[in-house]
Amino acid sequence: MKRSKMMELGVGLFVLAGILGMVFLGLRVSGVGFGVPQDTFTLQANFANIGGLKSGSRVAMAGVTVGRVSDVSLDTEWLDARVTMELDDSLEGKISRDSTASILTSGLLGEQYVGLSVGGDPEMLEDGDTIRDTQQALVLEQLIQQFVSNMTSE
Amino acid sequence: MIHHIVALGRGTLETVSALGRAVIFLVQAAWGVPSREGWHLWLRQMHFIGVMSLAIVLVSGLFIGMVLGLQGFTILVDFGAEDALGQMVALSLLRELAPVVAALLFAGRAGSALTAEIGLMKATEQLTSMEMIGVDPLRRIVAPRLWAGFVSMPLLTVGFSVVGIWGGYLVGVQWLGVFDGSYWSNMQSSVAFVDDILNGMLKSVVFGLVVTWIAVFQGYDLVPTSEGISRATTRTVVYSSLAVLGLDFVLTALMFGELG
Amino acid sequence: MFDNYRDVDERDVTDTTLVDVEGLHFSRGENEIFRGVDLRIPKGKITAVMGPSGTGKTTLLKLIGGQLVPDAGRVCIDGQDVHRLSRRALFRLRRRMGMLFQSGALFSDLNVFENVAFPLRVHTDLPEAMVRDIVLMKLQAVGLRGARNLSPAELSGGMARRVALARAVALDPELVLYDEPFVGQDPISMGVLVQLIKTVNQALGLTAVIVSHDIKETLSIADYVYIIADGQVMAHGTPQTLDVNRDARVKQFVHGEPDGPVPFHYPAPDFHRDILATGGGRP
Repeated sequence: MKRSKMMELGVGLFVLAGILGMVFLGLRVSGVGFGVPQDTFTLQANFANIGGLKSGSRVAMAGVTVGRVSDVSLDTEWLDARVTMELDDSLEGKISRDSTASILTSGLLGEQYVGLSVGGDPEMLEDGDTIRDTQQALVLEQLIQQFVSNMTSE
Repeated sequence: MIHHIVALGRGTLETVSALGRAVIFLVQAAWGVPSREGWHLWLRQMHFIGVMSLAIVLVSGLFIGMVLGLQGFTILVDFGAEDALGQMVALSLLRELAPVVAALLFAGRAGSALTAEIGLMKATEQLTSMEMIGVDPLRRIVAPRLWAGFVSMPLLTVGFSVVGIWGGYLVGVQWLGVFDGSYWSNMQSSVAFVDDILNGMLKSVVFGLVVTWIAVFQGYDLVPTSEGISRATTRTVVYSSLAVLGLDFVLTALMFGELG
Repeated sequence: MFDNYRDVDERDVTDTTLVDVEGLHFSRGENEIFRGVDLRIPKGKITAVMGPSGTGKTTLLKLIGGQLVPDAGRVCIDGQDVHRLSRRALFRLRRRMGMLFQSGALFSDLNVFENVAFPLRVHTDLPEAMVRDIVLMKLQAVGLRGARNLSPAELSGGMARRVALARAVALDPELVLYDEPFVGQDPISMGVLVQLIKTVNQALGLTAVIVSHDIKETLSIADYVYIIADGQVMAHGTPQTLDVNRDARVKQFVHGEPDGPVPFHYPAPDFHRDILATGGGRP
């Protein structure tokens, strides 16, 4: 009887450890926030080229993650990329109208993310507004092309 | 010449008939899940198959994670991208190494033991005598083992991943001096829960089923002599390793290869 | 030979026969094991099936137990054709049978007590106290009540076979099949087993089939004997009639003579020529 109790305990611990491991993988490794649905507000921005940005990419301000990209689609009116971002609720009404959204790369080979830099306009962006001042992603081919044409024009 | 063609034909027929037997065997055995008594039998096998394999899986996971940290660092540091170490360690573990290596270890540790155990039961007429008592050995002996392997494998794989990521952290952050925050945040920004973690788990579920299936079938189908048992044990390890690696390619192509 | 057949017909077949084997044919691959075997196992008696090694005696038991299917012929137990039964009906029929395997075949993951209790737990809903009583009774009958907590690995061969006997009769079956019960036993445990089989049979009024090639022991407890050779029944009768049977093969087998119609030598070319052959190395 005692041995079978020990066995049950062992199996129980084994399964529990598996579940805890799964939770660890979810929270710590993939960074999924379970439960607490954080309050967010939405901003949009149009970019001429988004490079490798995709839904789920990070949105950062001064290097701190403040939200994520929730949707990327083609704006059929202007034929450029329309990026929808969900930002932390605490920033609502604190981002000025002339803020800049640029697509940056973390490190040389890293992922692309949206960087926000705040301007000085006293008017603030509200939920659903669009950031007008944007900077497109750097595409390596274009850089090289510019470099080469500069070289030849000199 | 004719002789070789005859041999080829016979070999093909034997292979097909063994496959057929294996499938019928799986269907009949998987049928025997529930019943109150079956629960205890399953629990017992969970202990033998799962808990007893935990040590070797965790230790291997730790070492593999540490090696990944070391190798990854030396490669990434050339590009000045050592901050991406966490991402590299986590992705290679979650997508490939944890499911595959854990399944290979499982085949060696639990699979061979299952084959030998069931083979010995067959050789000592325990299976026949159980049948004569009026109990179906497929339900009583095979089914609990099959289900225990099926459930244990993903749990072992989770353990392997967690320990491996921790091993990479130990080497990368504690020893080689990668910044703690970037190890985790890079990992978090690149690992997707469904695409990477759940797909890896799905692989391990498939591997768990296949390895246990091969192991119990080899045990059940072997020639009941001591030579037969040793051959079947070897076959279990060889076949399950090949099956795991082959299936891994197929599953990877389906999941990450964007074929669909 | 013919006297013996008349002997069978004289017995009242319909009422007292429990197992009726008719025209049994069975082959394994190219190897023909039975070529028309007829047996009648009378109820409440000990019937022995004997024959040289390799004549498929164990196969016969497996055919009776429904684990193998014959190529032709049939096996009826209590009027039911074993090989026409559904899987469920076959398992129900097997509850009325017990089988003692050559190796004992005790379940290695259960101790002695649980091994004997196994059929009870599977087939009955008896309360634990009752199971305990029955198991201890059966173990007492084979003299191993004190060994109930040992594991099968700790038992000697003879003890294992006695435990297996207790397990085979745990459900009080009507028919018990013994597969080579005396093989590989020392004289003492052999004597114990012979005695046990006899007393258990008398006490429970079972029908028993013993498959064996240990002549002396088997003849001492059997009520009726069939001798099988070359896939057929070579002779049958009570131990007394067989002892005086004049058929050369029967005589050789019953008296254990090394050479006779069943040759000592495996077929080979002439010994002298074989020895003197010098042509180019090993044949």
